Amino acid sequence: MVKKLFYILLAVIMISSCKSGGDRSADSNFEVPDSILNQGLEISEETMQNVVQNISSPVEMAALIKELGVPYSNKYLSSTTRVENLTTSFKQSLNLGIYGCDLGYLNMYNKTSSVIEYISAIKTLADEIKVGQFFDFTTLKRLATNNQNLDSLMYISVHSFNQMDKYLHSNNRSNLSALIVTGVWIEGLYLGTQVVKEAPNQLLAERIGEQKITLNELILILENFKADKQYAKLINELMLIKNEYKDVNIKIEKGEPEAIEENGMLTIIQNDKSIVEISDDQLKSIISTTEEVRNRLISL
Amino acid sequence: MKKIASILLFISLSCAISVRAQDISQLTAQCAANAGDVMYLKDFIVKLDAGTPGGAPPTARFALLLSKSVVYRFSICTAPNSEGEAVLQLFDMNTLLGSTFISATGKDFPYFDFKCQKTGVYHVFISFKEGKAGDGVGVLSYVKKL
Repeated sequence: MVKKLFYILLAVIMISSCKSGGDRSADSNFEVPDSILNQGLEISEETMQNVVQNISSPVEMAALIKELGVPYSNKYLSSTTRVENLTTSFKQSLNLGIYGCDLGYLNMYNKTSSVIEYISAIKTLADEIKVGQFFDFTTLKRLATNNQNLDSLMYISVHSFNQMDKYLHSNNRSNLSALIVTGVWIEGLYLGTQVVKEAPNQLLAERIGEQKITLNELILILENFKADKQYAKLINELMLIKNEYKDVNIKIEKGEPEAIEENGMLTIIQNDKSIVEISDDQLKSIISTTEEVRNRLISL
Repeated sequence: MKKIASILLFISLSCAISVRAQDISQLTAQCAANAGDVMYLKDFIVKLDAGTPGGAPPTARFALLLSKSVVYRFSICTAPNSEGEAVLQLFDMNTLLGSTFISATGKDFPYFDFKCQKTGVYHVFISFKEGKAGDGVGVLSYVKKL
């Protein structure tokens, strides 16, 4: 009897110590449409994981915009007042990505007062789809409130998204990961197109033109889930943007890479070059269709 | 009693996994910080067993999309308990673009910068020298626009 009690006590202590080491446990009770569970993937989860890596970053477009000297504007952001109306895992995941991109933009411009509003929205949505444990809301809120250690704020924000993405993949929930990635991407494209509309810039126009490559990858991923009506509808929306890209040409000039070592640092210069051919009219059409699609997606 | 022992074993294993996750998380944060005044974008966590004698070293492969006119930094960090030293290589299709270890000179670099001129899918390969076992983290960071 004493031995048994000892074992139980030991188990309780071990469970407690596990918990104190960081709550990384996850509830397996999540919502996945039956149509997806029943259809099976056309390609393996492993392949999916390989395809999805880094397809859209919540900070890269914002970083470029800031480096171009474009001032901050909150009119590009998606309102967080919609969060309560997002009641399905489909909408929650898609908007998690949209708010993630907005958070990257806010972080980039050190708009810490608005950051709290967006991390709250993200935390709510992440909890709904059972990945909230990867989003360190308390630390993020503290960093944003104190307006200090902004590098850490950026690191934890981006790292949290990466953790969520990895977890969803490893738990056969790539369908939700694909939606988050789509949300990040569409909001990033919306941000870029809205900025270029007001402040024309060749580099930004090229970056928008190059999204033809990313969009193709994204549609390829989403097509694995097209048996679900919501995914099919989302693909149709993205196809409208793809259609605007059909005459955008991307040429490749070949060249040998160079390695330069200077002051103990190694730099690789790529001499392959991609050249984007995008006309003003094509850019205008992409801007307008992206705006329409993004606005429809956030009002779903 | 056997049942209790099984539960304890399960909990111990869970704790071990949790501790490893914490260690890796710390290593990732450290590796991102070591990359300098750059912006963290992505990490590539690897745990590889030792290779067979004479065989190719076990390698983890990650596909990623990089954008033109951006300078990226690729960093590599090896976990302290590893037998081998981690090496990160960047490939464009079958062309090796860069590596944190230059075999011709035997020189190691904690990171290298990549001036990307072509938007597209690239591959990061992470392995351990001489095919030894180990844990490691590769980190992709954004340096600046070109």
